[in-house]
Amino acid sequence: MAAPTYQRADLGELDGAAAEALRTLLFRLADDELVLGERYIEWQVHAPTLESDLAISNIAQDEFGHARLWYDLLEDFGDDEPALIWERDPGSFRHATLVELPTRQGDWGDTIVRGYLYDVAEQLRLEAVAESSYAPLRERVGKVQSEERYHREHAQNWLERLTDDEPGRARVQAALDRLFPYALTLFAPVDEATEAAIEEHGFRTASLADLREQFLDVVVPYLESLGLDVPEPDEVERPEAVGRDGQHTEHWDALFEDMTHTYRELGRTSTTKLMEDPE
Amino acid sequence: MIWEVFRQEEAGGYHTHCGNVHAPDAEMAKLFAQIQHGRRKPTHSIWVVPQASVHEVDDEDTAFGGTTDKAYRWAMTYDTDASFAQEIADSEEEQAAAERQRGRR
Repeated sequence: MAAPTYQRADLGELDGAAAEALRTLLFRLADDELVLGERYIEWQVHAPTLESDLAISNIAQDEFGHARLWYDLLEDFGDDEPALIWERDPGSFRHATLVELPTRQGDWGDTIVRGYLYDVAEQLRLEAVAESSYAPLRERVGKVQSEERYHREHAQNWLERLTDDEPGRARVQAALDRLFPYALTLFAPVDEATEAAIEEHGFRTASLADLREQFLDVVVPYLESLGLDVPEPDEVERPEAVGRDGQHTEHWDALFEDMTHTYRELGRTSTTKLMEDPE
Repeated sequence: MIWEVFRQEEAGGYHTHCGNVHAPDAEMAKLFAQIQHGRRKPTHSIWVVPQASVHEVDDEDTAFGGTTDKAYRWAMTYDTDASFAQEIADSEEEQAAAERQRGRR
């Protein structure tokens, strides 16, 4: 039997657990994109060359654009943008800790490795919501996917370049060793019951375990082909904070402070919207 | 390494030079050119060409079009009625303007 399709107008009819599951799924998507974009823009005017600076800044803009699409869907549950981002309790953010980690100072390879790991996971996750039972979500997937293709090309092109000689390869390896355990937090559950409800209602058509397996099937052979050692996934130590469940690293509060600094300094209570509907 | 970038707005149009990018190879030049030159204007296609592969001849090297009267090249020397062919009228104006420009140098 085909899963039912839900429209915006049906939100009021979803039971509490189902609505919360959908909201949680959207927060997973939106928060990841926003926070990763925030880390990318730290490279602005510091990237290795003018061209790479523009490329990474453009990728950050893409991620913010995607975040906006998902936060916009969250507004249908009754919250406005200040409540969803600027005045939100930082402890309620659901992004994976992979995206909040500070970039190792001056280490371009660190950003590229994180971008690669994230972009592959993002691709798989988008495929898993392309057939979502929630129509407004699946209808927005296509335009995000077309931008994500550039992100993967960009990351892979750099990875191949950086691993081309031994000193570069060693630095990429160090970044991989540091970031890989955190990349696996992308597939951590918010909590088991919520994730079960996400699947049960068809909001996402693949389980987190499936996504994790697909992810490893892509990244492990690719990274090994570059002469890198990929940590054994089942043996890596799980980071203390995975993010999805609201537990974050000590870096998140500082990043959130930075990110919302201007909003608070200017005494804002609302945000400017250039387009009423980000579609 | 510098790559010259040529942008085509629509299929079938000319690729027009629009600037350059620094990149170590063609693959990266294409990635950078997309962002730098294809992001804010309508773009159908971009070419990247190593700067060293662009060869130039300029008006110090040669007298473009020659220096003597060659008005017989003009479309207007043919017996056509420009009123039914706008392209011919346009072309005549362009050529007349070009000739005046040449005369001023």
